[in-house]
Amino acid sequence: MKAKAYGLFYLLLTVAAVLIVLKTLHWLPTILQKDMLRKFDSIEEVRAKLNIRDVYVPSYFPENIVWPPSEILAQAKPYPAVLIIFHAVKTRDAALVISQAASDAFSADSLIPFVQVTRTVSYDLKNRKALLEVGMCGNAEPCSRLSWTENNYRIRLAMKAPPFELIRIAESMFR
Amino acid sequence: MSISAFFGSFAGMYVAQSFCHSIIASVIMDQTLRAWKIDDPLVRQRFRLTVVLFPIFSYPLYQAINPDRGSVLFRLDALFDITRWLNMELWGVVPFGLLFLCLLAITSLIFLFQEMVPILKHTLESKTMEHEGTRREPDPFIENASRALSIDKPEVFVVEDDDLLIFSTTGRNPVIFVSTGLTVTLTQDEMQAALAHELAHIARSRRPLLLAAFFLRMILFFNPVALIEFRRVVRNEEKICDDIAVSLTHRPDALAEALKKFYPCRETPEPEELQKPLFAPIPLEEYSHNLQLDGRINRLGSGSPSSAGGRWFYLIMAFLIVAAVNYFVV
Repeated sequence: MKAKAYGLFYLLLTVAAVLIVLKTLHWLPTILQKDMLRKFDSIEEVRAKLNIRDVYVPSYFPENIVWPPSEILAQAKPYPAVLIIFHAVKTRDAALVISQAASDAFSADSLIPFVQVTRTVSYDLKNRKALLEVGMCGNAEPCSRLSWTENNYRIRLAMKAPPFELIRIAESMFR
Repeated sequence: MSISAFFGSFAGMYVAQSFCHSIIASVIMDQTLRAWKIDDPLVRQRFRLTVVLFPIFSYPLYQAINPDRGSVLFRLDALFDITRWLNMELWGVVPFGLLFLCLLAITSLIFLFQEMVPILKHTLESKTMEHEGTRREPDPFIENASRALSIDKPEVFVVEDDDLLIFSTTGRNPVIFVSTGLTVTLTQDEMQAALAHELAHIARSRRPLLLAAFFLRMILFFNPVALIEFRRVVRNEEKICDDIAVSLTHRPDALAEALKKFYPCRETPEPEELQKPLFAPIPLEEYSHNLQLDGRINRLGSGSPSSAGGRWFYLIMAFLIVAAVNYFVV
């Protein structure tokens, strides 16, 4: 019995050691290389520290969205990418997600996951060819998504709202 | 396709994550065996097979459970994200991803030349030997042992060769091949022990778990951990067959003596050779071969082999820990 208890203790220690080593190895690259994906406090900080000049931020926000953004993630390597997450005033869930990345591999669609896409149309966004998707998120909530290419960046906006507000937000990015 | 784009694709993530998952599985399984001092080769083999097989399915399974697992936010708060390392650059020039790909390429070559080619060669050679060897006289020991193992009595062929060789082919009509060198070198008891070991291999091949594991393991041909762990599985198989052989002959000493004769000749060095530095003369392959024989001989010398108890509880517990930890390793 004593040997079994000792065995369990030994294994738990091993698991704890494995978790500590993994977490350390996860954190270490952010120290060694500053331009990897990490959190930032403001858009200005992203521009200054990662030297990404073109960060596309809308000037219009509906009232149900909390300003400033709740999370800003960005990286310069292996390719420049910025992810801005806004929460809803009432629920404090992600309500608007704006991403821009120089690669299609960068995806943040899961933050506002569509249960069903009911309509996909091509949309003329101030002379840019954009793709508008309209559908439903969980709890039959209307959701919409707009994406287009701008100066080597793929920009994607996703919002828990009908497309009208999303289009206004997107158009305000070019004023 | 750039290196970072490759590791961002499904194939790249599969390669990278299965590598991480197998390292973690190997460490936790190893420590579980150590924690409860599990020596039974049959049980140890189950642990090792878990390390080999789990990473084949882990990544697609986790993604099916939670497609969000690949997202930027999940990766940011993960326990460990290997892409952070793969995207890092050594001295700002060489990406770690490239070094990682080199490691995978070397492992693939080792797999090809040390596993695939020898297997094909062995298959072809055993077919040739079938026509060359002479049938050995019927042996009541083989008959009794085959009955005890519930297998059809295999034919035993003697092949003209001065080297010490004994091996068996499995399949529908299994055959044991023995070299003339071995028949001269081994005593009758030792020969019976060696034949019993081969009969054990034939009996074990009736449950082709190892073969199935090998075919599945081929999917991870690039994975160095899977390569090492599968070799450990094979070594365990030898120990399992040793235990079966001892249960048939009740002579562990005879099997140990027979194994000692498989040491290469340099095992008893000339007096002047003893003066040479230890690391110089023995090639790595020979050293590894001797080490394996040492392990088996010591086991046989240390008393009766341990019983093949279930120990499923420990295996399931270790597996659940591995599965839970690896879920957060992306």
